[in-house]
Amino acid sequence: MKIIRQIGIIFTVCWLSILVEKILPFAFPASVIGMILLFICLLAGVLKIEHIQEKADFLLENMAFFFVPAGVSIINYFDVLKSTWIQLVIICVTSTVVTFVVTAWSVRLTIRWMERRKNNE
Amino acid sequence: MSEMFASPYFGVALSVIAFGIGVKLNQKFKTPFCNPLIIAIVLVSAVLLIFKIPYEDYNKGGEIINMFLAPATACLAVAVYTKLQILKQYWFPILVGCAAGSAASMGSVYLLCRLFGVEKSLTVSLLPKSVTTPIAVSIAEPAGGMVPITVVAVIFTGILGGIFAPLLIRLFRVSDPVAAGLAIGASSHAVGTSKAIELGEIEGAMSGLAIGICGIITVLFSMLVL
Repeated sequence: MKIIRQIGIIFTVCWLSILVEKILPFAFPASVIGMILLFICLLAGVLKIEHIQEKADFLLENMAFFFVPAGVSIINYFDVLKSTWIQLVIICVTSTVVTFVVTAWSVRLTIRWMERRKNNE
Repeated sequence: MSEMFASPYFGVALSVIAFGIGVKLNQKFKTPFCNPLIIAIVLVSAVLLIFKIPYEDYNKGGEIINMFLAPATACLAVAVYTKLQILKQYWFPILVGCAAGSAASMGSVYLLCRLFGVEKSLTVSLLPKSVTTPIAVSIAEPAGGMVPITVVAVIFTGILGGIFAPLLIRLFRVSDPVAAGLAIGASSHAVGTSKAIELGEIEGAMSGLAIGICGIITVLFSMLVL
């Protein structure tokens, strides 16, 4: 019953997030609304982490598995990939390095700036 | 004979078996190249192509698995919530880093796509590639992207991050574990995070936080540009 209740809670949050998506005047992904909704429920104490722990662990630990069908549909797109795969590889490699460096350096600068401000006070 | 593949049980069973083989191989070889998801995708695709099973038949089971994607994304909130303490302590650098990283990721993809003259639907498919798969798909799909291309680009990016993170940390002298963790999470989401956890507890926690926060920021940015 415990697991069924946890599934019920998480599916209810997902269903509510679809309702919110419909009401919102702009397009915003329902899955992310669900994430924000669940976070607010946890912060507000409406839900306790124990209420959903096992189900959440199950979903998070097996996250990769749920993408198998989405990935397999690549077989319908072979002709697109055949002509562009070299560009795609270059784009992925370059932008991954750029993202890594920009994030690391902006975090470092921000932390240094905060420390300097603290020392001046 | 052919209708036996049209049952949803077939698609689910095939996916589970293929993923199970992927996990076993990953445990045995312990390299980011042996990603269980990539192995599962290759195995299932091979079975469908070799036995000439229509994708639509396989996808009857696939749709059932897809149903768990939204709940799995929602549960990222649980991962963020358990790290509330670090979030409170470093909220400002985290926010700045994730915003800068998300902008750098989308900006660099856009510029490179323009440089190579990549068509629009492909560009849209690649734009959210640094964030975790469910969020990336929910950005690319309504904007006219090709979902499987997004999925493959996201996984490939994650594997790249997992392989190159230790090298990049040394090359760019990222000595602060907070900065290193956020950089890994922002550039290579969950696959990179599994590497960050190996590097240290702070790196792992920060990387996990970056997945959720970069996801939300990237959604906000894409609302502005798409």
